[in-house]
Amino acid sequence: MAVTKDKSISAALATASCALLGTGVTTAVDAQEVPKWDFNTSLLYYGEDESRVQDLSLRAIVRRLFVDDRSLTVSLTVDSLTGATPSGAIRQDVPQTFTRPSGNAAYVVPAGVLPLDDTFLDTRVALTGNWQQPIGETSQVNFGFSASNEYDYFHLGLNGRFSKDFNQRNTTLSAGISIAQDEFDPEGGAPIPFTSMLDIGDTSNRPQSQRDKDVLDVILGVTQVVSRKLVLQANYSYASESGYLNNPYKVLSIVDGTTGDTIQRVAPGPLSGPSHEFVFEGRPDDRAKHSLYTQAKYYMDGKVLDASYRYMTDDWDIDSHTLDVRYRWPLSDDKYLEPHLRWYSQSEANFYRLSLVDGAPLPAFASSDYRLGKFDAITAGLKFGWKNRNDNDMSLRIEWYQQMGSIPAGQLIGKQSLRDNYPDLNALIVQFSYRFSK
Amino acid sequence: MARFQAMGSPCELLTEAPSEVDARALATLAADEVWRIEDKFSRYLEGNVVNHINAANGATVRVDQETAQLLDFANVLFSLSDGLFDITSGVLRRVWTFDGSDRVPGVAAIKDLLPLIGWGRASWQAPELTLLPGMEIDLGGIGKEYTVDRAIALLREAGPTPCLVNLGGDLAVTGPPRRSRSWTIGIEALEAGQAEAMLRLRQGALATSGDARRYVEKDGRRYSHVLNPKTGWPVADAPASVTVAADTCTQAGMLSTLAMLKGASAEAFLDEQSEQHWCRRSF
Repeated sequence: MAVTKDKSISAALATASCALLGTGVTTAVDAQEVPKWDFNTSLLYYGEDESRVQDLSLRAIVRRLFVDDRSLTVSLTVDSLTGATPSGAIRQDVPQTFTRPSGNAAYVVPAGVLPLDDTFLDTRVALTGNWQQPIGETSQVNFGFSASNEYDYFHLGLNGRFSKDFNQRNTTLSAGISIAQDEFDPEGGAPIPFTSMLDIGDTSNRPQSQRDKDVLDVILGVTQVVSRKLVLQANYSYASESGYLNNPYKVLSIVDGTTGDTIQRVAPGPLSGPSHEFVFEGRPDDRAKHSLYTQAKYYMDGKVLDASYRYMTDDWDIDSHTLDVRYRWPLSDDKYLEPHLRWYSQSEANFYRLSLVDGAPLPAFASSDYRLGKFDAITAGLKFGWKNRNDNDMSLRIEWYQQMGSIPAGQLIGKQSLRDNYPDLNALIVQFSYRFSK
Repeated sequence: MARFQAMGSPCELLTEAPSEVDARALATLAADEVWRIEDKFSRYLEGNVVNHINAANGATVRVDQETAQLLDFANVLFSLSDGLFDITSGVLRRVWTFDGSDRVPGVAAIKDLLPLIGWGRASWQAPELTLLPGMEIDLGGIGKEYTVDRAIALLREAGPTPCLVNLGGDLAVTGPPRRSRSWTIGIEALEAGQAEAMLRLRQGALATSGDARRYVEKDGRRYSHVLNPKTGWPVADAPASVTVAADTCTQAGMLSTLAMLKGASAEAFLDEQSEQHWCRRSF
């Protein structure tokens, strides 16, 4: 009977305690053990149409909570990239032959087709770590590192951030800095800018292999709680990049000043070298970006409207605007829908060139990389989130991305205006996330 | 936040009072109650009710209502624990000192004290208590938790300001804080600085029994400071510490104490109770 007796102890104690304390009614205890571990995992698919880039990305973020609001966060991301990207050469009415970046082989692009370089295939592994802790009652610091590795690229970065609350925690000011050093070890070596794409086996214009890039970022921010419903945030950030900023795989077509067609050349044999004149791009070796970011979050009975705008300008003369709106719409206690709309627009870099004219003096810098061109992009998506039986968060996000670029007026020569030099890019993004705590 | 020292422990009061003045008023209210109870029931102080009882030498002592309620409570605990929780076992402290040394008392010394232990030997008929000559009572096993609950009751009466009262690890709250909706409390692990568990407490109380630093060790055997009043010897295989969450600090504290007294079956005992608990054994 000892078991039965033990069971009743708790109830007997409650009665005796009430008698002792002289309180008839007590409030029931509400204590919840806080999970010390938080795991956030996701699988993301990003696929561009026309067999361009496909990325399958697996990510795990692990957070360990300690007492006094200290936490350690570690994330690991593995990307598996396949597909092809535009090489920078323009379309022609005849087939074009290119030497692969490795310098060991050549490939043919059919007449009328946008030249893509299909050697783009890589696995990328990225690791980040971050330690966060309060200092005193109103300040917080965090320190972190980031590292990533792919077969021709290695990144290592350090970052730190300090924030302080004012005004009964309604205002938070923060300042952060991060530095990074990247090492580029391009396939086949880094070509000298504006030298021609050479025949197979000729590496005379690729004397260097490893190149470095340094990045410094500084960010200053303010967050203001305006009311229980409205939180505003504004950040200014400055980024300075210096070192090797070229894309060693991108070329420009050398064209006839009247027809706009790419100048043909004679390779020593079939598939032994380029069929036309292509030169490797050259970019400035530094870049300074300024950006201003503002965000408003509006909470109304479980619904959250999150709208942000970013303006970025840099000394390559790229100006960009990003408008991003999300709306979290709860369907029930454990399900929600979140529509997402993003609009992006940028102007082209001052050295963006669709092609270079044969015989004309070479500019100091030139690139036909479509990402440095003028384009608008729209992302539209929907996320559905729910809790599973164990109260863990799951979500599925599907988004469509469309990029619409254009060539600046005055850059189109002769027949170039008859071709689509900046085809639209469409991509599908599907992400499944699973979050659980222990 | 206000800090003060009482009952041999650091005490703290956390409030969300709107102003410094309000915070100080609440701290004074709580501290005065803590010191009142300490003065009234400490066995170390001359002239209080416990001192009267312990000096009575067999005479009957008539006690006030608050003391009577505490003795009633001790009486219930004695029977609930089959005599393991006994407010007359304090005399064992004359021979046991748990200071990490190797001073284990002799069998005879302990045996000599046993006739002075046993609530069953006392005659308690509220409001009158009669002990055998030489017997003593010690309300220290109830006092801290009772004090926390008393302070919480006074703070609740004083107004709606959310407060947390912590007497050396035994704590209770008047309700959830407004700003963060729950109080975050770390239950310390045995290694310094490492949190064994973190709790969000919105209502109720937490109490911890056991102190890994209080023991004696001789011939490779470690004796915990939890004494069995029937034998005068430490309870074998008691957990290093037990923390219980309950509606009141008194309930939480008594459950954790009873669990310690159960020794090896502490976990089994706690598992049968409906309250949340955390039991640690590694020394």
